[in-house]
Amino acid sequence: MKKYWTVFRVNWQNALQYRGPTFISILGNLLHISVLLYLWNAIYRSEQSLGDYSLSDLMTYYILQLMINSMVLSYISWDIGNEIREGSFSNYLVKPLNYLHYWFTINLSGKLFEGLMILVVGAVLFFVLIAYISFPSSALSLGYFFLAMILGGILAFEFDFLIGILAFWVVQIASFKYMLQYSMFFMAGALLPLDLFPKLFQDVANALPFRFLVFFPIQIFLEKETAPLQGLLIAVVWIVVLYFLLRFMLRRGITRYEAVGR
Amino acid sequence: MKKTLSRYFSLYISFLKHNLKNEMMYRANFAINVGMDIFFMLVNVVFFSILYGNVETIGSWNFHQTLVLVGTVGIVRELAYLTFRKGFLELGEYVRTGNFDVMLHAPISAAAHLAFRHVSLTESLGEGLMGLVLVGYGFVQLGNAGLSSIGFYLLMLINSLAIYYGFCLIINSLVFWLIKSQELNTVVYYFMNTARYPRDIYHGLGKAIFTVIIPSSLIATTPATILIGRAEPALIVLTVSVAAVFLSLGLFFWNRSINFYSSASS
Repeated sequence: MKKYWTVFRVNWQNALQYRGPTFISILGNLLHISVLLYLWNAIYRSEQSLGDYSLSDLMTYYILQLMINSMVLSYISWDIGNEIREGSFSNYLVKPLNYLHYWFTINLSGKLFEGLMILVVGAVLFFVLIAYISFPSSALSLGYFFLAMILGGILAFEFDFLIGILAFWVVQIASFKYMLQYSMFFMAGALLPLDLFPKLFQDVANALPFRFLVFFPIQIFLEKETAPLQGLLIAVVWIVVLYFLLRFMLRRGITRYEAVGR
Repeated sequence: MKKTLSRYFSLYISFLKHNLKNEMMYRANFAINVGMDIFFMLVNVVFFSILYGNVETIGSWNFHQTLVLVGTVGIVRELAYLTFRKGFLELGEYVRTGNFDVMLHAPISAAAHLAFRHVSLTESLGEGLMGLVLVGYGFVQLGNAGLSSIGFYLLMLINSLAIYYGFCLIINSLVFWLIKSQELNTVVYYFMNTARYPRDIYHGLGKAIFTVIIPSSLIATTPATILIGRAEPALIVLTVSVAAVFLSLGLFFWNRSINFYSSASS
């Protein structure tokens, strides 16, 4: 456990050093979200509406999405893919570290760091748009929401790790990875709330586990989720299943690993 | 003047040919690039078609008009790669290593040299082609603007390219202090990402910001209004003026900043 604490600390310092790029990507997300807020505002001003969302529900959805993008969604597959492709993965084979747990720790410290940064931005945004924000009416919903965020963060990590270790099988992974990641975020509800999708599309999205990353926690916050407890349990099942799948795939992947360049 | 222009033109053509040969060596890479561009353009189309499944208009734009808008962004992006865009992506490396010296020695302007050295037909070709398809499809479906508007549309595309170039120059002028350009170009990327929403969604402060500070609301909207038959003279005048201001400011900052280039390791 102590060694992972060291990994955590080292990566925290790393993140501190690269706070500039992180800050710029947060600003970029903020810019996109602001444009979308204008878009919703324009739609509601022309007396139209999206599904059964009120304007403040939608505003809240996208402010939460901004926070979730920084605190939950994982972007480690790029580094994992590179390590495998360029051969530096070999270093881990001789270290007393579990590659999956190692990256979990790295991701955790990165997300906590980015989370702290986004909290500042989010607080300002909340303050400016306070009139437009739908707060949950009970503390229980808020509790479920935080729980859903934590589970979503673990699931997001597991899916991104899965995309990363595909590099054992597919060498030129970069563009493929982007498409997979983007499709996943789309089906998670990061661009649009899933209940605005056409019926068939919606059923598919609801059957897939990706909705636990974005849509599910936000629905709890907006108190639109009818069975939060059941959803949380399903998320836990997915986490456990994926954990064993990842361990299995990692073992299979290592047997295929060619240590290119070593 | 005429002689200078024709020299620049022939240089541009030879750089373009040379780079194209290079790009064609990696055919698989080329195919993947095009495929990825088309995928991301399709995501934008899906985004808007889901929205239009719920509403009739967005800021008085209907679905087909919005397709023209989304397509226009793709075309502007491709035109940018055919002229200046990729040079800026490489700029940080030139400044860091001191290789920017090369750009200053040649008997053409440093900005043009940087741009021409990296012109690319294929880098954003998928977006360009997909953009043409979307613009064409939207145009045919609407059928309320004459074919004569196409010429004017092309002119306004060039005008949008000038805004984009001016914005790139202003942002990238900072490279001589930061010694890297990756984050600067991330900013430019986010800037272009907001261009595909119709300008009519903004009002008040937002409208001012997205016109004067981040002029992305003009890049696609103005050309698109011409093609869909709702051109407004005031908007066109505004867009041309913004282009003139941004281009002048960009060149001004760029030419000033170049003096701060420290020519590392030489």
